[in-house]
Amino acid sequence: MNILDELFAKAKEDPQKVAFPEATNEKMMQAAYETGRDGYIVPVLVGDGPALKALAEERGYDPAVFTIVDVADEQYRDEVIAKYVALPDTRLKEKALARRMQDPLYYAMVMQKVGEADVTFAGIDNTTGDVLLAGQMIIGLKPGISTISSIGLCDIPGWNGSEGTLLAVGDSAVCTNPNAEQLASIAISACDTVHELLGWEPRCAMVCYSTLGSGAGELIDKVTEALKIANELRPDLAIDGEFQLDAAIVPAVAAKKVKRESKVAGRANVVIWPDLNVGNVAVKLIQQFGHADAYGPMLQGFNSIVCDCSRGAPVSEIKGNVVISAVRAAGQKK
Amino acid sequence: MDRKELEAKIIELVAISYGKDEGEVTLETSFKNDLQGASVQMVALVSEIENELDAMIALQDASVCETVKDLVDAVEAEM
Repeated sequence: MNILDELFAKAKEDPQKVAFPEATNEKMMQAAYETGRDGYIVPVLVGDGPALKALAEERGYDPAVFTIVDVADEQYRDEVIAKYVALPDTRLKEKALARRMQDPLYYAMVMQKVGEADVTFAGIDNTTGDVLLAGQMIIGLKPGISTISSIGLCDIPGWNGSEGTLLAVGDSAVCTNPNAEQLASIAISACDTVHELLGWEPRCAMVCYSTLGSGAGELIDKVTEALKIANELRPDLAIDGEFQLDAAIVPAVAAKKVKRESKVAGRANVVIWPDLNVGNVAVKLIQQFGHADAYGPMLQGFNSIVCDCSRGAPVSEIKGNVVISAVRAAGQKK
Repeated sequence: MDRKELEAKIIELVAISYGKDEGEVTLETSFKNDLQGASVQMVALVSEIENELDAMIALQDASVCETVKDLVDAVEAEM
């Protein structure tokens, strides 16, 4: 059973309510329908109610699988708004919120914030920027987290690391040139993400071109500063560095290069890149030379799970990402 | 609301969103050089403007403002 099969099985044990604000899109509705019909999630379609109903019928879907929320239903909208504005630390007030909620993306996130959904899944019609902005405005960032970021999960054939063929890496997609504080946030969020999704005890390595002072310069200083911030903010997490990649994931190299106690060196299951240049190149190296499957990017740093899928994603990939986000949401509740 | 009132209100909202004293923020304050905020602060600022001034500014339009004065101009154009 590969990792995706395992996650599908896990999702079925505790199906989460996933809000789909772009369900008029054919691929999105198909993914919502099939994951709902097969019991992995409870799909909630948010948008123009009558249009969604008609489309579902036209596409031959059993209407009993979907819950449809009509953004024109003022009574329900006002109930949701009242719950939202009563929450502490929310940004928008009634009037601004009602205006934003004409957009199903915002509507779905407000529902999620007040507990009417567990995940918002979008990105096929909205841009990544739209999803990130709505997420920051409505869902907000976790306390102590200064940036949205992402991780990917690599399944690398022939790799025998501390989690078998799996390695989580980040950020390879969202945060371009993080400062030390943001890099610390990426590491902390990544640890929480792998714990929610996979139940791992995270061992997180912050990597660059130096291992414990073997090199010097501002590129390394950023990483060591980030490590210090991460350790101060979350002493409960095993986040260590600075390590070169081999010292982070190969026990024999760690034994040579890391001459102090470390829970992480040589057995990291999460690797944090210093910036997006490294992250993007590294993931492509893993895919091209390591023939790996890379799942994600999984957005992290929000108070609850927001998922942005690729605009060109086929239905199979959308379904995989829906299930991953649902498992994360279930994991976050534990 | 006249221009002076709008300037004062936006200075107040910038100060709240970026965690500064109002006295530290002027029309010439640069978002990049003086406030050095991340997108999180800009999201907070855009939300405050929406709440308080009933003007919807796109994040990308706010993000290209170099100074507080540029932002006042952008909000004024929306109102």
